Amino acid sequence: MNREAPYWNPYLERLTRDSLERLQLKKFKRILTWAYSNSVFHRTLYHDAGVHPDDINSLDDVRRVPKVEKSMMQPIQRKDPFPYGDALCVDLEDVCVFRQTSGTTGQPVYQPDTWQDWEWWMECWATLLWAQGYRPHDRVFLPFGYNVFVAFWAAHYASEKIGCETIPGGVLDTKSRILKIQELQATALMATPTYILGMADTARNQLHLDPAALPITKITCAGEPGALIPATKKRIEEAWGAKVYDHAGATEIGAWGFECSCQPGALHVNEVMFLAEVDDLETGNPVTELGRRGKLIITALDRFAQPCIRFDSKDIVEIGEDRCECGRTYKLFKGGVIGRADDITKVKGVLLAPSAIEDVVRSVQGLGNEYEVIVDKKGDADNITLKVELAEDMADAAMAELKAVLATQLRLKTNLGYNLEFFALNSLPRYEVKARRFKDLRKKER
Amino acid sequence: MEGQDSLQEMRKDVDALAALARQLYEASEDFPAVNRNSKRILASVEMLKINLEEA
Repeated sequence: MNREAPYWNPYLERLTRDSLERLQLKKFKRILTWAYSNSVFHRTLYHDAGVHPDDINSLDDVRRVPKVEKSMMQPIQRKDPFPYGDALCVDLEDVCVFRQTSGTTGQPVYQPDTWQDWEWWMECWATLLWAQGYRPHDRVFLPFGYNVFVAFWAAHYASEKIGCETIPGGVLDTKSRILKIQELQATALMATPTYILGMADTARNQLHLDPAALPITKITCAGEPGALIPATKKRIEEAWGAKVYDHAGATEIGAWGFECSCQPGALHVNEVMFLAEVDDLETGNPVTELGRRGKLIITALDRFAQPCIRFDSKDIVEIGEDRCECGRTYKLFKGGVIGRADDITKVKGVLLAPSAIEDVVRSVQGLGNEYEVIVDKKGDADNITLKVELAEDMADAAMAELKAVLATQLRLKTNLGYNLEFFALNSLPRYEVKARRFKDLRKKER
Repeated sequence: MEGQDSLQEMRKDVDALAALARQLYEASEDFPAVNRNSKRILASVEMLKINLEEA
Protein backbone atom coordinates (compact mmCIF):
# COMPACT_ATOMS: atom_id res chain seq x y z
CA MET A 1 0.00 0.00 0.00
CA ASN A 2 1.16 3.51 -0.82
CA ARG A 3 1.43 5.31 2.52
CA GLU A 4 1.91 8.61 0.71
CA ALA A 5 -1.55 8.36 -0.89
CA PRO A 6 -3.16 11.64 0.18
CA TYR A 7 -6.76 10.40 0.25
CA TRP A 8 -8.45 7.46 1.95
CA ASN A 9 -10.75 7.38 -1.07
CA PRO A 10 -9.17 9.16 -4.07
CA TYR A 11 -12.34 8.63 -6.13
CA LEU A 12 -15.06 9.96 -3.80
CA GLU A 13 -13.13 12.69 -2.02
CA ARG A 14 -12.56 14.55 -5.30
CA LEU A 15 -15.91 14.15 -7.02
CA THR A 16 -17.22 17.14 -8.91
CA ARG A 17 -20.08 19.01 -7.22
CA ASP A 18 -22.58 17.67 -9.78
CA SER A 19 -21.49 14.07 -9.26
CA LEU A 20 -21.45 14.48 -5.50
CA GLU A 21 -24.98 15.86 -5.43
CA ARG A 22 -26.22 13.16 -7.79
CA LEU A 23 -24.79 10.53 -5.44
CA GLN A 24 -26.26 12.26 -2.39
CA LEU A 25 -29.73 12.33 -3.93
CA LYS A 26 -29.51 8.64 -4.87
CA LYS A 27 -28.43 7.75 -1.34
CA PHE A 28 -31.00 10.01 0.30
CA LYS A 29 -33.83 8.34 -1.61
CA ARG A 30 -32.45 4.93 -0.65
CA ILE A 31 -32.26 5.63 3.09
CA LEU A 32 -35.64 7.39 3.07
CA THR A 33 -37.25 4.42 1.31
CA TRP A 34 -35.56 2.05 3.76
CA ALA A 35 -36.82 3.98 6.79
CA TYR A 36 -40.31 4.33 5.31
CA SER A 37 -40.49 0.59 4.67
CA ASN A 38 -38.99 -0.64 7.94
CA SER A 39 -39.77 1.83 10.72
CA VAL A 40 -43.22 2.61 12.11
CA PHE A 41 -41.85 5.86 13.54
CA HIS A 42 -40.56 7.14 10.19
CA ARG A 43 -43.51 5.88 8.13
CA THR A 44 -45.96 7.61 10.45
CA LEU A 45 -43.91 10.81 10.45
CA TYR A 46 -43.76 10.96 6.65
CA HIS A 47 -47.32 9.84 6.14
CA ASP A 48 -48.58 12.58 8.47
CA ALA A 49 -46.53 15.14 6.53
CA GLY A 50 -47.91 13.88 3.21
CA VAL A 51 -44.48 12.86 1.93
CA HIS A 52 -43.66 9.61 0.17
CA PRO A 53 -40.10 8.61 -0.84
CA ASP A 54 -41.18 8.56 -4.49
CA ASP A 55 -41.86 12.32 -4.22
CA ILE A 56 -38.21 13.14 -3.62
CA ASN A 57 -36.56 13.77 -6.96
CA SER A 58 -34.15 16.61 -6.27
CA LEU A 59 -32.12 17.97 -3.37
CA ASP A 60 -34.68 20.80 -3.15
CA ASP A 61 -37.37 18.16 -2.57
CA VAL A 62 -35.41 16.93 0.44
CA ARG A 63 -36.68 19.94 2.36
CA ARG A 64 -40.20 18.51 2.19
CA VAL A 65 -39.14 15.66 4.44
CA PRO A 66 -39.88 16.44 8.10
CA LYS A 67 -36.97 17.00 10.44
CA VAL A 68 -36.32 14.79 13.43
CA GLU A 69 -35.27 16.15 16.82
CA LYS A 70 -33.77 14.31 19.73
CA SER A 71 -36.90 15.07 21.76
CA MET A 72 -38.92 12.99 19.25
CA MET A 73 -36.70 9.94 19.80
CA GLN A 74 -36.81 9.93 23.59
CA PRO A 75 -40.51 9.02 24.03
CA ILE A 76 -40.51 6.17 21.49
CA GLN A 77 -37.63 4.34 23.13
CA ARG A 78 -37.61 1.90 26.07
CA LYS A 79 -40.50 0.15 24.31
CA ASP A 80 -40.67 -2.85 21.97
CA PRO A 81 -38.59 -3.82 20.16
CA PHE A 82 -36.86 -3.18 23.47
CA PRO A 83 -35.07 -0.89 24.11
CA TYR A 84 -35.11 0.94 20.79
CA GLY A 85 -38.80 1.17 19.93
CA ASP A 86 -40.36 2.04 16.60
CA ALA A 87 -37.39 3.66 14.88
CA LEU A 88 -35.50 0.37 14.68
CA CYS A 89 -35.28 -0.82 11.07
CA VAL A 90 -33.57 -4.20 11.50
CA ASP A 91 -34.19 -7.39 13.46
CA LEU A 92 -33.02 -7.07 17.04
CA GLU A 93 -30.78 -10.07 16.39
CA ASP A 94 -28.81 -8.03 13.88
CA VAL A 95 -27.96 -5.33 16.41
CA CYS A 96 -24.41 -5.99 17.56
CA VAL A 97 -23.56 -2.90 19.56
CA PHE A 98 -25.34 -0.52 21.91
CA ARG A 99 -24.41 3.12 22.52
CA GLN A 100 -26.28 6.00 24.08
CA THR A 101 -26.07 9.77 24.07
CA SER A 102 -24.67 11.51 27.12
CA GLY A 103 -28.03 12.79 28.27
CA THR A 104 -26.79 16.35 28.80
CA THR A 105 -29.98 17.64 27.15
CA GLY A 106 -32.46 15.18 28.65
CA GLN A 107 -33.09 11.46 28.70
CA PRO A 108 -30.32 9.64 26.79
CA VAL A 109 -31.15 8.32 23.31
CA TYR A 110 -30.22 4.69 22.68
CA GLN A 111 -28.39 3.94 19.46
CA PRO A 112 -28.29 0.46 17.93
CA ASP A 113 -25.74 -0.48 15.30
CA THR A 114 -25.39 -3.60 13.19
CA TRP A 115 -22.04 -4.93 12.03
CA GLN A 116 -22.57 -3.03 8.80
CA ASP A 117 -23.35 0.24 10.63
CA TRP A 118 -20.37 -0.23 12.87
CA GLU A 119 -18.16 -0.81 9.83
CA TRP A 120 -19.61 2.43 8.45
CA TRP A 121 -18.70 4.34 11.63
CA MET A 122 -15.12 3.08 11.24
CA GLU A 123 -15.12 4.04 7.58
CA CYS A 124 -16.12 7.62 8.46
CA TRP A 125 -13.37 7.79 11.06
CA ALA A 126 -10.78 6.18 8.76
CA THR A 127 -11.52 8.89 6.18
CA LEU A 128 -10.82 11.64 8.69
CA LEU A 129 -7.80 10.04 10.33
CA TRP A 130 -6.17 9.45 6.95
CA ALA A 131 -6.90 13.09 6.04
CA GLN A 132 -5.14 14.15 9.25
CA GLY A 133 -2.04 12.15 8.36
CA TYR A 134 -2.56 8.94 10.38
CA ARG A 135 -0.64 6.10 8.74
CA PRO A 136 0.18 2.47 9.64
CA HIS A 137 3.48 3.48 11.27
CA ASP A 138 1.63 5.57 13.88
CA ARG A 139 1.19 4.42 17.46
CA VAL A 140 -2.11 5.89 18.64
CA PHE A 141 -3.05 6.40 22.28
CA LEU A 142 -6.73 6.74 23.23
CA PRO A 143 -7.20 8.07 26.77
CA PHE A 144 -10.95 7.74 27.18
CA GLY A 145 -13.38 5.72 29.28
CA TYR A 146 -14.44 2.79 27.10
CA ASN A 147 -18.13 2.61 28.03
CA VAL A 148 -21.68 3.17 26.74
CA PHE A 149 -20.86 6.51 25.13
CA VAL A 150 -19.57 6.29 21.56
CA ALA A 151 -16.81 8.88 22.23
CA PHE A 152 -13.66 7.49 20.55
CA TRP A 153 -14.79 3.87 20.12
CA ALA A 154 -15.05 4.18 16.33
CA ALA A 155 -11.76 6.08 16.29
CA HIS A 156 -10.15 3.12 18.00
CA TYR A 157 -11.38 0.65 15.38
CA ALA A 158 -10.68 3.04 12.49
CA SER A 159 -7.12 3.41 13.75
CA GLU A 160 -6.84 -0.40 13.70
CA LYS A 161 -8.40 -0.48 10.22
CA ILE A 162 -5.78 1.95 8.91
CA GLY A 163 -3.16 -0.31 10.44
CA CYS A 164 -1.97 1.97 13.25
CA GLU A 165 -0.82 0.34 16.46
CA THR A 166 -3.71 1.29 18.71
CA ILE A 167 -3.37 1.60 22.48
CA PRO A 168 -6.57 1.55 24.57
CA GLY A 169 -5.83 3.97 27.42
CA GLY A 170 -9.06 3.47 29.36
CA VAL A 171 -9.33 2.92 33.13
CA LEU A 172 -6.03 4.67 33.86
CA ASP A 173 -5.62 7.95 35.69
CA THR A 174 -4.17 10.91 33.84
CA LYS A 175 -0.66 10.49 35.22
CA SER A 176 -0.59 6.81 34.24
CA ARG A 177 -1.78 7.68 30.77
CA ILE A 178 0.98 10.23 30.28
CA LEU A 179 3.58 7.78 31.52
CA LYS A 180 2.22 5.10 29.18
CA ILE A 181 2.52 7.53 26.25
CA GLN A 182 6.12 8.14 27.28
CA GLU A 183 6.87 4.45 27.83
CA LEU A 184 5.42 3.33 24.48
CA GLN A 185 6.53 6.42 22.54
CA ALA A 186 3.03 7.01 21.16
CA THR A 187 2.92 9.37 18.16
CA ALA A 188 -0.75 10.36 18.15
CA LEU A 189 -3.44 11.09 20.70
CA MET A 190 -7.21 11.63 20.68
CA ALA A 191 -9.39 13.27 23.34
CA THR A 192 -11.51 16.34 24.07
CA PRO A 193 -9.62 19.67 23.96
CA THR A 194 -10.34 20.14 27.66
CA TYR A 195 -8.79 16.81 28.58
CA ILE A 196 -5.78 17.32 26.33
CA LEU A 197 -5.06 20.68 28.01
CA GLY A 198 -5.58 19.08 31.43
CA MET A 199 -3.12 16.30 30.53
CA ALA A 200 -0.53 18.92 29.64
CA ASP A 201 -1.05 20.62 33.04
CA THR A 202 -0.75 17.28 34.85
CA ALA A 203 2.43 16.40 32.94
CA ARG A 204 4.05 19.70 33.86
CA ASN A 205 2.80 20.18 37.41
CA GLN A 206 2.63 16.65 38.78
CA LEU A 207 5.14 14.71 36.71
CA HIS A 208 7.53 17.61 36.01
CA LEU A 209 7.52 16.48 32.42
CA ASP A 210 7.27 18.74 29.38
CA PRO A 211 4.50 17.31 27.15
CA ALA A 212 6.20 18.85 24.12
CA ALA A 213 9.14 16.53 24.78
CA LEU A 214 6.90 13.49 24.25
CA PRO A 215 6.85 12.02 20.71
CA ILE A 216 3.20 12.98 20.02
CA THR A 217 3.07 14.63 16.57
CA LYS A 218 -0.69 14.88 16.05
CA ILE A 219 -3.76 15.18 18.22
CA THR A 220 -7.34 14.68 17.11
CA CYS A 221 -9.95 16.44 19.21
CA ALA A 222 -13.65 15.73 19.41
CA GLY A 223 -16.58 15.98 21.80
CA GLU A 224 -16.63 19.76 22.17
CA PRO A 225 -15.54 22.81 20.17
CA GLY A 226 -12.01 23.98 20.88
CA ALA A 227 -9.62 22.52 18.34
CA LEU A 228 -10.88 25.12 15.86
CA ILE A 229 -11.03 27.99 18.33
CA PRO A 230 -7.73 29.68 17.35
CA ALA A 231 -6.48 30.49 20.86
CA THR A 232 -7.33 27.01 22.16
CA LYS A 233 -5.69 25.28 19.19
CA LYS A 234 -2.58 27.43 19.70
CA ARG A 235 -2.40 26.56 23.42
CA ILE A 236 -2.69 22.83 22.74
CA GLU A 237 -0.20 22.88 19.86
CA GLU A 238 2.34 24.82 21.91
CA ALA A 239 1.86 22.63 24.98
CA TRP A 240 2.30 19.37 23.09
CA GLY A 241 4.52 20.46 20.20
CA ALA A 242 2.04 18.69 17.91
CA LYS A 243 -0.49 19.47 15.20
CA VAL A 244 -4.06 19.61 16.48
CA TYR A 245 -7.04 18.65 14.34
CA ASP A 246 -10.74 18.99 14.94
CA HIS A 247 -13.49 16.50 14.25
CA ALA A 248 -17.27 16.67 14.67
CA GLY A 249 -19.80 13.93 15.14
CA ALA A 250 -22.58 12.66 17.37
CA THR A 251 -23.93 9.34 18.56
CA GLU A 252 -27.18 9.64 16.59
CA ILE A 253 -25.46 10.98 13.47
CA GLY A 254 -21.97 9.57 13.02
CA ALA A 255 -18.56 11.14 12.38
CA TRP A 256 -19.60 13.79 9.88
CA GLY A 257 -16.89 16.44 9.84
CA PHE A 258 -13.12 16.71 9.94
CA GLU A 259 -10.27 19.13 9.66
CA CYS A 260 -7.66 17.96 7.13
CA SER A 261 -3.90 18.22 7.49
CA CYS A 262 -3.91 21.57 5.64
CA GLN A 263 -5.62 23.05 8.73
CA PRO A 264 -7.90 25.39 6.78
CA GLY A 265 -9.55 26.71 9.95
CA ALA A 266 -12.65 24.79 8.95
CA LEU A 267 -14.26 21.36 8.99
CA HIS A 268 -14.84 19.39 5.82
CA VAL A 269 -18.22 17.69 5.71
CA ASN A 270 -17.87 14.07 4.60
CA GLU A 271 -20.49 14.64 1.92
CA VAL A 272 -20.36 11.12 0.54
CA MET A 273 -21.59 9.76 3.85
CA PHE A 274 -23.72 12.73 4.97
CA LEU A 275 -26.08 15.29 3.51
CA ALA A 276 -25.58 18.54 5.42
CA GLU A 277 -28.13 21.36 5.19
CA VAL A 278 -27.88 24.66 7.04
CA ASP A 279 -31.03 26.45 8.21
CA ASP A 280 -31.31 30.08 9.20
CA LEU A 281 -31.67 30.27 12.97
CA GLU A 282 -34.74 32.48 12.88
CA THR A 283 -36.55 31.81 9.60
CA GLY A 284 -35.55 28.19 9.04
CA ASN A 285 -34.82 29.01 5.41
CA PRO A 286 -31.80 27.37 3.75
CA VAL A 287 -28.50 29.18 4.16
CA THR A 288 -25.92 28.76 1.39
CA GLU A 289 -24.02 32.07 1.16
CA LEU A 290 -20.38 32.28 2.22
CA GLY A 291 -20.02 33.61 5.77
CA ARG A 292 -23.64 33.04 6.82
CA ARG A 293 -24.36 31.04 9.96
CA GLY A 294 -27.16 28.63 10.68
CA LYS A 295 -28.21 25.39 12.29
CA LEU A 296 -26.98 22.09 10.87
CA ILE A 297 -29.65 19.65 9.68
CA ILE A 298 -27.97 16.41 8.77
CA THR A 299 -28.69 13.02 7.21
CA ALA A 300 -26.47 9.96 7.58
CA LEU A 301 -26.78 8.47 4.11
CA ASP A 302 -25.56 4.93 4.83
CA ARG A 303 -26.67 4.15 8.37
CA PHE A 304 -29.48 1.64 8.47
CA ALA A 305 -30.35 0.20 11.91
CA GLN A 306 -31.75 3.44 13.29
CA PRO A 307 -31.66 5.93 10.44
CA CYS A 308 -30.70 9.56 10.98
CA ILE A 309 -32.69 11.52 8.41
CA ARG A 310 -32.83 15.32 8.48
CA PHE A 311 -31.77 15.33 12.11
CA ASP A 312 -31.78 18.73 13.81
CA SER A 313 -28.30 18.62 15.32
CA LYS A 314 -28.62 22.01 17.10
CA ASP A 315 -25.03 22.64 16.01
CA ILE A 316 -24.30 26.14 14.73
CA VAL A 317 -22.05 26.28 11.67
CA GLU A 318 -20.84 28.91 9.21
CA ILE A 319 -20.65 28.38 5.45
CA GLY A 320 -16.98 28.40 4.43
CA GLU A 321 -14.99 28.56 1.20
CA ASP A 322 -15.67 26.06 -1.60
CA ARG A 323 -12.09 24.92 -1.94
CA CYS A 324 -9.30 23.68 0.29
CA GLU A 325 -5.64 23.22 -0.58
CA CYS A 326 -5.99 19.51 0.16
CA GLY A 327 -7.97 19.06 -3.06
CA ARG A 328 -11.06 17.56 -1.47
CA THR A 329 -14.28 18.87 -2.95
CA TYR A 330 -16.27 18.46 0.27
CA LYS A 331 -17.83 21.66 1.58
CA LEU A 332 -16.25 23.48 4.50
CA PHE A 333 -17.74 24.91 7.69
CA LYS A 334 -15.52 27.76 8.87
CA GLY A 335 -14.52 27.49 12.52
CA GLY A 336 -16.15 24.04 12.83
CA VAL A 337 -19.08 23.77 15.20
CA ILE A 338 -19.28 27.31 16.51
CA GLY A 339 -21.76 26.55 19.24
CA ARG A 340 -25.04 24.93 20.10
CA ALA A 341 -28.40 26.46 19.28
CA ASP A 342 -29.26 25.73 22.92
CA ASP A 343 -26.27 27.80 24.14
CA ILE A 344 -26.29 30.75 21.78
CA THR A 345 -28.35 33.30 23.61
CA LYS A 346 -29.06 36.99 23.89
CA VAL A 347 -27.40 38.72 26.83
CA LYS A 348 -28.22 42.40 27.33
CA GLY A 349 -29.72 42.25 23.83
CA VAL A 350 -26.47 41.00 22.25
CA LEU A 351 -26.23 37.57 20.59
CA LEU A 352 -23.51 35.68 22.47
CA ALA A 353 -21.69 32.49 21.41
CA PRO A 354 -19.72 30.97 24.32
CA SER A 355 -16.90 29.95 21.95
CA ALA A 356 -16.06 33.66 21.48
CA ILE A 357 -15.39 33.95 25.23
CA GLU A 358 -13.13 30.89 25.12
CA ASP A 359 -11.15 32.39 22.27
CA VAL A 360 -10.51 35.51 24.37
CA VAL A 361 -9.68 33.70 27.63
CA ARG A 362 -7.17 31.41 25.96
CA SER A 363 -5.52 34.22 24.00
CA VAL A 364 -4.68 36.29 27.09
CA GLN A 365 -1.24 35.61 28.56
CA GLY A 366 -1.28 34.96 32.29
CA LEU A 367 -4.61 33.11 32.39
CA GLY A 368 -5.03 29.37 32.93
CA ASN A 369 -7.06 27.14 30.62
CA GLU A 370 -10.23 26.83 32.68
CA TYR A 371 -13.07 29.31 32.90
CA GLU A 372 -16.77 29.48 33.69
CA VAL A 373 -19.46 31.84 32.42
CA ILE A 374 -22.58 32.50 34.44
CA VAL A 375 -25.49 34.54 33.11
CA ASP A 376 -28.19 35.57 35.58
CA LYS A 377 -30.37 38.56 36.32
CA LYS A 378 -29.92 41.47 38.68
CA GLY A 379 -33.39 42.95 38.85
CA ASP A 380 -34.54 43.21 35.24
CA ALA A 381 -31.04 43.44 33.79
CA ASP A 382 -28.91 40.59 32.50
CA ASN A 383 -25.73 40.07 34.44
CA ILE A 384 -22.76 38.13 33.09
CA THR A 385 -19.88 36.86 35.20
CA LEU A 386 -16.68 35.31 33.89
CA LYS A 387 -14.61 33.26 36.31
CA VAL A 388 -11.04 32.62 35.21
CA GLU A 389 -7.92 31.11 36.71
CA LEU A 390 -4.54 32.80 36.96
CA ALA A 391 -1.69 30.76 35.51
CA GLU A 392 0.47 31.88 38.44
CA ASP A 393 0.42 34.31 41.39
CA MET A 394 0.95 37.93 40.39
CA ALA A 395 1.40 41.34 41.97
CA ASP A 396 -1.53 43.77 42.22
CA ALA A 397 -0.28 46.00 39.40
CA ALA A 398 0.16 43.08 37.02
CA MET A 399 -3.25 41.79 38.03
CA ALA A 400 -4.89 45.15 37.27
CA GLU A 401 -3.21 45.21 33.88
CA LEU A 402 -4.35 41.67 33.12
CA LYS A 403 -7.91 42.55 34.13
CA ALA A 404 -7.90 45.57 31.82
CA VAL A 405 -6.59 43.52 28.87
CA LEU A 406 -9.21 40.83 29.44
CA ALA A 407 -12.07 43.33 29.75
CA THR A 408 -10.99 45.14 26.57
CA GLN A 409 -10.68 41.94 24.54
CA LEU A 410 -14.04 40.66 25.75
CA ARG A 411 -15.67 43.96 24.83
CA LEU A 412 -14.04 43.86 21.38
CA LYS A 413 -14.91 40.22 20.60
CA THR A 414 -18.34 39.91 22.25
CA ASN A 415 -19.63 43.49 22.63
CA LEU A 416 -20.36 42.86 26.30
CA GLY A 417 -19.08 43.97 29.71
CA TYR A 418 -18.44 41.27 32.33
CA ASN A 419 -17.98 40.93 36.07
CA LEU A 420 -14.53 39.38 36.20
CA GLU A 421 -13.57 37.03 39.01
CA PHE A 422 -10.07 35.60 39.34
CA PHE A 423 -9.14 32.32 41.00
CA ALA A 424 -5.97 30.41 41.75
CA LEU A 425 -4.93 27.67 39.30
CA ASN A 426 -6.91 24.41 39.69
CA SER A 427 -9.77 26.09 41.61
CA LEU A 428 -12.45 25.80 38.92
CA PRO A 429 -14.09 22.47 38.01
CA ARG A 430 -12.23 20.14 35.63
CA TYR A 431 -14.03 18.07 32.99
CA GLU A 432 -12.95 14.75 31.52
CA VAL A 433 -15.77 14.32 29.04
CA LYS A 434 -17.99 17.21 27.91
CA ALA A 435 -17.19 20.49 29.59
CA ARG A 436 -20.19 22.58 30.72
CA ARG A 437 -18.65 25.98 31.26
CA PHE A 438 -21.59 28.13 30.18
CA LYS A 439 -24.40 28.41 32.70
CA ASP A 440 -27.47 30.45 31.86
CA LEU A 441 -29.34 30.67 35.15
CA ARG A 442 -32.03 32.88 33.61
CA LYS A 443 -33.54 29.79 31.95
CA LYS A 444 -34.28 28.28 35.36
CA GLU A 445 -35.88 31.49 36.53
CA ARG A 446 -38.42 31.60 33.68
CA MET B 1 -5.96 3.56 -9.65
CA GLU B 2 -9.26 5.44 -9.70
CA GLY B 3 -9.76 5.69 -13.48
CA GLN B 4 -13.25 4.81 -14.71
CA ASP B 5 -12.15 1.47 -16.19
CA SER B 6 -10.41 0.30 -13.04
CA LEU B 7 -13.38 1.46 -10.93
CA GLN B 8 -15.67 -0.66 -13.09
CA GLU B 9 -13.34 -3.64 -12.71
CA MET B 10 -13.25 -3.21 -8.95
CA ARG B 11 -17.04 -2.98 -8.80
CA LYS B 12 -17.32 -6.27 -10.67
CA ASP B 13 -14.87 -7.89 -8.25
CA VAL B 14 -16.83 -6.59 -5.27
CA ASP B 15 -20.07 -7.99 -6.70
CA ALA B 16 -18.37 -11.36 -7.13
CA LEU B 17 -17.08 -11.20 -3.57
CA ALA B 18 -20.54 -10.34 -2.28
CA ALA B 19 -22.06 -13.25 -4.18
CA LEU B 20 -19.51 -15.68 -2.74
CA ALA B 21 -19.95 -14.41 0.82
CA ARG B 22 -23.74 -14.56 0.45
CA GLN B 23 -23.47 -18.14 -0.80
CA LEU B 24 -21.37 -19.13 2.21
CA TYR B 25 -23.73 -17.38 4.57
CA GLU B 26 -26.83 -19.06 3.16
CA ALA B 27 -25.20 -22.48 3.14
CA SER B 28 -24.09 -22.34 6.77
CA GLU B 29 -27.21 -22.15 8.91
CA ASP B 30 -25.98 -25.06 11.05
CA PHE B 31 -22.33 -23.99 11.01
CA PRO B 32 -22.03 -20.88 13.23
CA ALA B 33 -18.32 -20.33 12.62
CA VAL B 34 -18.86 -20.06 8.87
CA ASN B 35 -22.22 -18.32 9.18
CA ARG B 36 -21.05 -15.52 11.49
CA ASN B 37 -17.77 -14.94 9.67
CA SER B 38 -19.42 -14.80 6.27
CA LYS B 39 -22.04 -12.39 7.60
CA ARG B 40 -19.24 -10.21 8.91
CA ILE B 41 -17.56 -10.33 5.51
CA LEU B 42 -20.84 -9.18 3.98
CA ALA B 43 -20.76 -6.13 6.27
CA SER B 44 -17.24 -5.33 5.08
CA VAL B 45 -18.25 -5.90 1.46
CA GLU B 46 -20.93 -3.24 1.92
CA MET B 47 -18.13 -0.79 2.77
CA LEU B 48 -16.40 -1.70 -0.46
CA LYS B 49 -19.66 -0.98 -2.27
CA ILE B 50 -19.99 2.39 -0.52
CA ASN B 51 -16.42 3.28 -1.39
CA LEU B 52 -16.91 2.48 -5.07
CA GLU B 53 -20.53 3.48 -5.61
CA GLU B 54 -21.16 5.09 -8.97
CA ALA B 55 -21.98 8.78 -8.71
